[in-house]
Amino acid sequence: MFEFKKFRKKSPWILHYNAGSCNGCDIEILACLSPKYDLERFGVINTGNPKQSDIFLVTGPVTYRSRSRLLELYNQMPNPKVVVAVGSCACTGGVFRGMYNVEDGVDRYISVDVYIPGCASGPELIMDGVVKALEILEKKEREENERSEDDK
Amino acid sequence: MSNKKIINIPLGAQHISLLEPVKFRFSCENETIIGVESDVGFVHRGIEKACVTKFKYDAIPYVVARVCGLCAITHSLCYTTAVENLLDGEVSRKAKYLRMLMVELDRIHSHMLCLSHTCENAGFEAMFMQIMGDREYVMSLQEKITGNRVQFDYVTIGGVNRDISSEIIKDIKTNLAIVKEKVNSYIDEFSSNWSLSLKFQGIGLLSLEEAYSYNAIGPLARATGLATDVRSETEYLPYKEIGYEMQTAHSGDIHGRNMVRLAEILNSIQMCENIVDGLPDGEILSKFKGKPNGESLVRLEAPRGELMYYIKGDGNAMLNRVRIKTPTFACIPAFMEVFKGANYGDAPAILASFDPCLSCTAK
Repeated sequence: MFEFKKFRKKSPWILHYNAGSCNGCDIEILACLSPKYDLERFGVINTGNPKQSDIFLVTGPVTYRSRSRLLELYNQMPNPKVVVAVGSCACTGGVFRGMYNVEDGVDRYISVDVYIPGCASGPELIMDGVVKALEILEKKEREENERSEDDK
Repeated sequence: MSNKKIINIPLGAQHISLLEPVKFRFSCENETIIGVESDVGFVHRGIEKACVTKFKYDAIPYVVARVCGLCAITHSLCYTTAVENLLDGEVSRKAKYLRMLMVELDRIHSHMLCLSHTCENAGFEAMFMQIMGDREYVMSLQEKITGNRVQFDYVTIGGVNRDISSEIIKDIKTNLAIVKEKVNSYIDEFSSNWSLSLKFQGIGLLSLEEAYSYNAIGPLARATGLATDVRSETEYLPYKEIGYEMQTAHSGDIHGRNMVRLAEILNSIQMCENIVDGLPDGEILSKFKGKPNGESLVRLEAPRGELMYYIKGDGNAMLNRVRIKTPTFACIPAFMEVFKGANYGDAPAILASFDPCLSCTAK
């Protein structure tokens, strides 16, 4: 059989969702994909389709209305998946913490694997976080394989 | 719907051609869009309310900068100017020049981001990568001057937070010379390349009368020939001294908007060079006394158009009201008008040419 799993760790795809951020982290993610930093040399491609993604980059403090969309995108992603919270406000709510329409961070709703600090997170930090997410993805994949072998 | 020929197509809330969540519902007859509804409130956070309940007046410059990451400097500068009108004190000429320098650098990188997005939506991926790569020259300048690439927190009440050194001035001159050369080559590309010029001519049309009656502002209005720019209408910042020139086009289509943005980048580069050449001496931070008491209204030109702040205080550290009117919000009626009659296939390209900023709009 064609081994999809073997290629996944070589070429993880990214899904990016803005859950109420100020655009600062979003343009830095875009800068990561641009020639100077070039995240694509790790095989990473930015995709718009949750069903083809492995790494979920979330920016912003999660507003009331983006909450259900965040969960929907997370649930549509196949396992194993890694969630990366980009920026101070995705980690804790940051400057928006306690505002009336804000839910204070991504980890209230979905489990976060990598936290990237900074307002706005620099491209170096984001790349560091994505590379760390690749390690976690590999580990999760191994665990899943072991589990499926145990089931047999 | 009674007429069965009309098809409703949703675009968003999450879509590959959008950086931010916004939802459009297009009513299409065959390929042509005949009606459009928009929903922009996905990123509403409640900043205006927090400015009068959670933060004191001297912390708000850093809070309102988080309204939008792309025009952060314009937001904090607009608020700061409004508060300074209500306090005792005067900003030095050097601080004003440094503020203008950052606003213009911000405009350059914001316009370059918009142009690269337009290229991406035309299917010209290589040009997208090239503009994004050249944009890093401006980003590294911003990092050198302020210490951060995107959220600067450079402007504060009374002046600016960091001084500029002679090495940085040298870097500004070398980097801007490179960017100027690149922008000149983009102008060739944008006016002669098939996928960037001919394909975009006549697409996304807005006429001068429509721009006037639907209150279009910023590059969208200037591309139709409507000469509106806050930089030429107000006196808070001495724009006339540093060589500001109004840039307009007359076609009103996507091509016209691209050309206005390119011309504005060149003008901004010229202004930045003039600023660092004629930088006055003096303090960068001066003391302001008192608490804001009274009303103040300030307008500034953000990369996307006119930004307006209204503040009201009663002599306490907490303000009574902070009202933010953002450029994209004012342009929405004109956006809707442009979409009507266009082909559905052009919708992402038209949207990218507006350079919308939804986190500004929803606040």
